[in-house]
Parts: sequence; C-alpha cells; structure tokens
Amino acid sequence: MTHQAHTYHMVDPSPWPLTGAAAAFLLTWGIAIWFHYSSMTLVSLGLILLLLTMIQWWRDIIRESTYQGQHTPPVQKGLRYGMVLFISSEVLFFIGFFWAFYHSSLSPTPELGGVWPPTGITPLNPFEVPLLNTAVLLASGVTVTWTHHSIMAGERKQAIQSLSLTIILGLYFTTLQAMEYYEAPFTIADGVYGSTFFVATGFHGLHVIIGSTFLAVCLLRTGSNSTLQHNTILALKQQLDTDILLMLFDYSCMSPSIDEDLK
Amino acid sequence: MYYKLSGFTQKLTGSAPTTAYNPQGLRAGLPAESPTMIFASPTKVISEAGATVEYMGKNKVPDLQRRFQVPDGVPIHLKGGVPDRLLYRTTMALTVGGVLYCLVALFIASQPRKN
Repeated sequence: MTHQAHTYHMVDPSPWPLTGAAAAFLLTWGIAIWFHYSSMTLVSLGLILLLLTMIQWWRDIIRESTYQGQHTPPVQKGLRYGMVLFISSEVLFFIGFFWAFYHSSLSPTPELGGVWPPTGITPLNPFEVPLLNTAVLLASGVTVTWTHHSIMAGERKQAIQSLSLTIILGLYFTTLQAMEYYEAPFTIADGVYGSTFFVATGFHGLHVIIGSTFLAVCLLRTGSNSTLQHNTILALKQQLDTDILLMLFDYSCMSPSIDEDLK
Repeated sequence: MYYKLSGFTQKLTGSAPTTAYNPQGLRAGLPAESPTMIFASPTKVISEAGATVEYMGKNKVPDLQRRFQVPDGVPIHLKGGVPDRLLYRTTMALTVGGVLYCLVALFIASQPRKN
C-alpha cells in the first residue's frame, strides 16, 4: 500500500461493472429469444456470465476489506447507508404487492363473484404448512440473533453453530414452500388471486434463498477465520427480520380466506 | 504468546489469539471479556492452547493479508495470480463473445419470413 492521507477507499479499475452489464443485456434478450424461439442458449450464457461476475466481484471485496483493510470506519458508514437504502427499497417493493392484494381482496369486483377468495378458488389452509413456515422463519430469526450476539461476544464456536442452524432453517423453509407450490390447487394464471399469491410469496421465497446463500458465504468466511462479520450479519439480520415481517403479512393476508371457509 | 488483563484477578493471564486479534466491526469501547475465564493459570503458548484456537483449521488470514498488501501495482482482481487471470479472461471472452452472438441473434430475429 502506498501512503495516503485520507481514510477513503480509492478502488482499482474493475472489469466487473462491464461484465455485469453484459450479463444483464444477455439475460434480457436471452429471455425474449427463449420466449420466441424456445432456445435457451442466450439466457444460459447470461446466467453463467452473471454468476462469474458476482463471484469475482464479491471475492475482490473480501480481498479489499479483510486482506487490505480498506474498509475503514468512514467506508463502513457508507456501506451501512447503502444497506439501509437497499432494505428500504425492498420494503417499498413488497408494499406494492400488499397493495395489489388488498386492492383486490377488500372489495372483490363482480367479475370475481363479489367474494374473496374468488369463485372457483380453493385456497390453502393457513393453519397447516403456512403456519409451520411462519414458525420456522421466526425460529431462524432467533438463531441469527444468537449468531449476532455470539459475534459481538467473540464466541466463534457458537457463532458457527448458530449460523449453521439458521441456514438449515432457511433451507427447510424453502423446501416446505416448494412442496406447497407443488400441491397448490391454483396457478399463477388463475386470476388475481393466483397472481397476487404467487408473485408475493414467490418474491418472498426468492429473498429467503438469496438470504440463505448470503449467510452460507458468511459461514464459510467465519469458518475460514476470514473475519467475524459483525456488519454483514447485522445487515442480514435486518433483512431476515424484514422477511419475518413479510411472512406474518403473508399469513394475515391469507387469514380472510379461512373466515370464508368457516362460514 | 497472547496475554490479557483478567478483570477478576487484576493480573495478566493467558488468552486465546482470537481475543488478541481484534476483527473489524467490534466496538473498541467495550472491553470484551474472553468467554472462558482463566483463573490466574500459567500462561500458555498457542501450540498448547487447545482446541478453541484451531477450531475448524488454521487461520490463513495473516498470510493472505501479507500476500494482498504487496505494493506491486497489480489491480485487485488479478492480484491472486494465475487462477485470477484465467477466470478474468474466461469472463471477458464470454462478455465479448456473448454480446456479439446476441447482436447476431437479434439481427436474425428482426427479419421474419414474409408469407
């Protein structure tokens, strides 16, 4: 490292924004070509390029932070603001889905038969797997908090154990959700009920999968002594808490359907 | 050898390297007590400090820090050596080749057969 008189991180020129943009380009047109000609070549190419970009970009960030010490307190502050903004945008993103759901369900149109769930839809019973999944997600919130406190106390062994537990719970949630999708008696094409259900729970499931992957990377890094990732875990905890909140919302969203069933 | 001041006995006692190696993000203001209290026992060297130190393998971070802090002017994405160069070239080749292939595919798609 050369001498520098400030605490900011002057990044090296990087190829990853370019390759990432190319990946997005290939994915966009790849999907269009796939829909038109049933050829998956371009979309697969885009996915591979996206994966390569993500792996190498984040590898470089680990090098810059843990190995070069570029993430000084002012840099960390910027990163934290970024995470706050990202999570806020995520919350608003999901508010849109809830808005769509309540718009359609609170005053069902005559086209739906004037009832919610719409005529002809058999909803899932929210006291079965959805309730279990809520419990699993809440439990994962407990274990990730345990991880966070282990890290603050410097308890490496406990951090690794509780983080592993969190990842297992995340995978369990995803498995249950996949089963639920497989068994669901309606599809995304079954009117506004199917659309709002699968779009909202689908994006929620995607976030759980991304979160599990992220936590798995944290686990590998904690395991390899890379650092005790106080900041990362904190950020992930926030995201997980958001997810729990969303799951509760999902649950409350489906409750009106039980009332209908009971009647 | 690593030492810490035991708040209980007010004496220097042996401690795990994890306590001495203070990772980023821990609040410096809070004196973190080591989890297991050592009651003024004789100090230990790392090799005899036991399972907690080497839990899940050797700590390679100091070596990696030395390796990635060499001021050789190589950008961070190539600083790892040959594997880095291979990965970078594969990614760049896919970027250029993929974009060209995509443009050709779009050109063909823009000329539908006329009935």
